[in-house]
Amino acid sequence: MTDNVFRTDVRAFLAESLTPEIKRAGELMTSVFADFDATMDWHKTLYAKGWVAPDWPQEHGGTGWTLGQRYIFQEECKLANAPALFAMGLQMLGPMLIRYGTAEQKAYYLPRMLSGEDVWCQGYSEPGAGSDLASLMTAAVRDGDDYIINGSKIWTSYAQHSNKIFCLVRTSKEGKPQAGISFILVDMDAKGLSVEPIVGLDGAVEQCQVYFDDVRVPAANLVGAENQGWDVAKSLLEFERGGHNFTIDHKKQMAKIDRQASTQLSADGCLWKDNPVFEAKLADVAVDALALEFTELRMKGAFEAGGNPGALSSLIKVMGTEIGQRFNELSVEMMAEHTFVKQLDALLPGFEGEAIGPSCGLTTMAEYINNRAATIYGGSAEIQRDIIAKRVLHL
Amino acid sequence: MFIEYSEEQNMLRDSAERYLRDNYSFDSRQAAVKQASGFDADQWQTFAELGWLAMTFKEESDGLGGGALETMILCEQFGKYLVLEPYLESVVLVGGLVEAGAQPAIKEQYLAGLIAGELQGAFGYLEEGGVADPTYVQATAESSADGFVLNGKKTVVLNGPEADCFVISARTGAAEKGSSSGISLFFVSKDAPGLSLTNYKTYDGRSASELQLENVAVTSEALVGELNNGFAIATPVFSRAMLAVCAEAVGAMDALLTATVDYTKQRKQFGQSISGFQVLRHRMVDMFMEIELTRSLLMATAWKLDNNAADAEQCVAALKAKVGKAGRYVSHNAVQLHGGIGTTDEFSVGHYFKRLAVIGVMFGSRDSHLSRYSQLSTQLSVEPS
Repeated sequence: MTDNVFRTDVRAFLAESLTPEIKRAGELMTSVFADFDATMDWHKTLYAKGWVAPDWPQEHGGTGWTLGQRYIFQEECKLANAPALFAMGLQMLGPMLIRYGTAEQKAYYLPRMLSGEDVWCQGYSEPGAGSDLASLMTAAVRDGDDYIINGSKIWTSYAQHSNKIFCLVRTSKEGKPQAGISFILVDMDAKGLSVEPIVGLDGAVEQCQVYFDDVRVPAANLVGAENQGWDVAKSLLEFERGGHNFTIDHKKQMAKIDRQASTQLSADGCLWKDNPVFEAKLADVAVDALALEFTELRMKGAFEAGGNPGALSSLIKVMGTEIGQRFNELSVEMMAEHTFVKQLDALLPGFEGEAIGPSCGLTTMAEYINNRAATIYGGSAEIQRDIIAKRVLHL
Repeated sequence: MFIEYSEEQNMLRDSAERYLRDNYSFDSRQAAVKQASGFDADQWQTFAELGWLAMTFKEESDGLGGGALETMILCEQFGKYLVLEPYLESVVLVGGLVEAGAQPAIKEQYLAGLIAGELQGAFGYLEEGGVADPTYVQATAESSADGFVLNGKKTVVLNGPEADCFVISARTGAAEKGSSSGISLFFVSKDAPGLSLTNYKTYDGRSASELQLENVAVTSEALVGELNNGFAIATPVFSRAMLAVCAEAVGAMDALLTATVDYTKQRKQFGQSISGFQVLRHRMVDMFMEIELTRSLLMATAWKLDNNAADAEQCVAALKAKVGKAGRYVSHNAVQLHGGIGTTDEFSVGHYFKRLAVIGVMFGSRDSHLSRYSQLSTQLSVEPS
């Protein structure tokens, strides 16, 4: 099938399957997460079509598409304003279980992940272990066929909606900090586990803190061997860093900026798009976004040739997030006072009232605020720079 | 796709890199700077023998038929070794213009010599007071009985002192603001009566001239390209020249990053290598990222030029703007991280910095290319795809 035929098929499917409500949730995204219910509806639609996990091997429920087709699918979904599916299961844990999980774990968890029966969250960071993840303290102590877990995890996205959590826990204090870490799967309804929401700067809750108070977990839930969790986690971090396609996000941001610039006036009475100072600033970011697009193609080429793009993925994470933040700044400048209006109701897909201000500015401030996190999560911009310094420049 | 090189292209890159590494040391380069010509004539001859000068001419001109990718591959290596020889001026600019638009008599007499490196050219297209705009042309060419008579001045004609021949822009029709209409190009031999040169060195170790044209008579065969529409051939040649200097910039930035990484590892202060300090490590990573983004744009632009992509010109503008920014970032920080030694004439880093400073504003500054990029984006978005 040619790429164009494939694209047409994807478009036709999206046109008939994206309900107005699901699409609205995609339009109203102010971070990497969309409205929970709408996202899960979309998850189930894709599951029914067999397209929920294009990146997985076909025998585990993948689509068997080429890398190019997967890219087209991602692009078309985003351009059609489909909500992004939650990545913690499908993008992160799934590929990792396929690689490190036991036959029983795969047989049990993968189908539930695909169907959306299980919603996963990620328990990595702790109040005392962020960039220095290996210093984590949440302890799992062996007790017969179980582990007993005590401690706390933080920045756990959508824990309030999840029924499962995968965690890094300390099983040994011997040797290097990395050597005593294990990877374990935990039921959120286990006795002693509690979730406390964290209100973000936009007023919404995406993050949580999760507390473990003598939480008993079967030892069969370990992924990989005891004390080998760091290697498992490291491979997962690479999925997290390398798996994102920033160019599509940037194109969406530019389309939004175009709408704003061709409807809103700047101080001198001309549209923002005709303001030369603004145009130059926009072009400066757009040029970097174009350079990043070609860099992503270089990385894709390296993948296709069977090579390892290595630290190019760190470069793409840093530049992709920083460019996105610069686009946010331009939007805030154009929408100006309209961005002040805090109307969280109007950001819900089911909202039936009338929003205040121009529709093209409804999400601007929340996007700007929330996107500050992009250079912090998934390995901060500084940690990524440390990785490049060490692995590429050999400093 | 543009990320894949052919076997021949890989060979060209490897052989250029090998030759220059073994035969183009910084010390010998600095010795050549001090010569009257400002470059090494033996090197130039060797470049011709290696096929580098013929590389991008068409096969029917007895060239090797290479395209923008070949220009990029060669110029990247030239940038890495700070090559002084006038490849840009004589081959890319004058060679490109003569091949694209010179009349048969001129081609016959000069093109083979330009390709073989026996003759050198220089392109006079800038005038004092309007160097940011190559359509600012006050020099005139008036029709005469058997051709044209040229009058006026041209400024900063790179490689002027060594040129055997010039292509010169002059006005043959009314000026229109921001338009290239009414401008024609003429082929002028260096010994044409009425042509006089004032020669000088440039900060990046090369040479250039101020040209004075006083009733310089040329035949009608001297017209290069169309009358009143010289930019029809000049525009694609400028695009190729921009690609060439941007490739040179990427090579130069690469060399600066390597030198800076090496230096900070060796340099000890406060009892340790200064490469251990995170502020310097991150600075070098930022240099690396700027270089890699520029390299991606460079490769894509070369590919798009070779494939006549609809957005090729837009990519050229993006590339030139990016080189303006990245070149400054990388060279400023290379000098900064080298400290005092980076500010001296004896050390290579400062010479890369000067070459990048020149490239940054040559053929239009960053700002002018950002605005060109915006204009082209608007045009592309309204055209049906």
